[in-house]
Amino acid sequence: MPHPGWAAFSFDGIGTSWEVSTPGPLEARQRRRLLAVVEEYDAAWSRFRTDSIVARAARQPGRFVMPVGAGALGRLYRSLYRLTDGAMTPLVGGSLEQLGYDPAYSLRPRGIPLPAPRWDDVLDWQDAVLTTTAAVVLDVGAAGKGQLADLLAVELRAQGAGEHFIDASGDLLNSGPAPVTVALEHPYDPGRAIGTISLGTGALCASAANRRAWGDGLHHVLDGTTGSPVSTVVATWALAENAMTADALATALFFVPGKALQQDFEFSWLTVFSDGSAAYSAGFKGVLFE
Amino acid sequence: MSFPVRKSVFAGIAGISLVGTVAGCAPSAQSTPAQSTTGASSSAPADGTAGSSSAASGYQDGTYSADGNYVSPNGTETVGVELTLSGGTVSDVSITQHPSNPNTRKFQGEFAGGIAAQIVGKKLDELSVSKVAGSSLTSGGFNQAVEKIKSEAR
Repeated sequence: MPHPGWAAFSFDGIGTSWEVSTPGPLEARQRRRLLAVVEEYDAAWSRFRTDSIVARAARQPGRFVMPVGAGALGRLYRSLYRLTDGAMTPLVGGSLEQLGYDPAYSLRPRGIPLPAPRWDDVLDWQDAVLTTTAAVVLDVGAAGKGQLADLLAVELRAQGAGEHFIDASGDLLNSGPAPVTVALEHPYDPGRAIGTISLGTGALCASAANRRAWGDGLHHVLDGTTGSPVSTVVATWALAENAMTADALATALFFVPGKALQQDFEFSWLTVFSDGSAAYSAGFKGVLFE
Repeated sequence: MSFPVRKSVFAGIAGISLVGTVAGCAPSAQSTPAQSTTGASSSAPADGTAGSSSAASGYQDGTYSADGNYVSPNGTETVGVELTLSGGTVSDVSITQHPSNPNTRKFQGEFAGGIAAQIVGKKLDELSVSKVAGSSLTSGGFNQAVEKIKSEAR
């Protein structure tokens, strides 16, 4: 709970646990609306269910109309695809499946890493309409959880619950002015923190190689140009105005220095490398333990 | 308590395996999945005291070590990882160096020093925080599959 006395609504969505905190308990009708937002997102974007739109796109090429928000997601991905020279891409799903991160969670590599197809070869993403020229496995995992947090915040505001705090299993969105003290999880030991930060209005999202890891050197942050997991960065955090941006930038930090991303995005960042060193922007100064 | 123990061990080994690729210093230096995946996980009890009884309940206290290999521009290198478990958490992690050349020695040395010196951790329950920001907790299906693989690897 971010604040004493607040009420929490917890549920599972898009493969992870969520907690929406509000000053008072949400009514049943409000909860149902939130769950409907989650269901709509999952039905469009989940590659872990056979009836989703992306599951259809994985079976055959075509024209796919995605729900509201897909345009913003596509523009963000396109921008980061350019800034990372193709390393960060929504077309990485096939590479993940190749290494065993498939809908059946086989977690067994099928063979050597497989690069993602080049965006312009297979995908035309115009606002909410995706047109593909080949069967492609889309995976928006790098920004999707953040975007869903933002969509839930929109729904909460529409319900008049403008003051809220959303915890999407470690990706956090704070709508109110009251800051929340947040620990930064140690990349090698989830029982420890490497620092604490005060999160005011905005989002703090993280990515790390210690979770969704299923073997030596096998984890979920893949370089789309090679199909292999990134190995020089082990954990990242990004602070931004909204959760979709913070979520995506946390992944982008695995590929590009924070300073380079700051030329295109207004955000604060912290990157922990596999040699145990850290780099960070001004927003994270004094946050790490010494 | 068995799950957190195994998880810590797993996370520790997975993290340390990354050293190799840094030491390798080139994208092509990725250690291949097969090299030490199950080897590192399954060969954990090295002191001979934590063998059979650990199968169902996780690892017992003790010091565990395993070697991992990775390919660097200098050929195949070996790095040793030693974990100490006590009371359900990893209380110490150290790198056993097997450097075959000065460059590798430098990289491995920096890493070995790095964990202790630069990324300093404090126990969550000793901190006054209301939230933790970190990489996503994994889904039930994913966790189950990981557990299955680990038990098979044991």
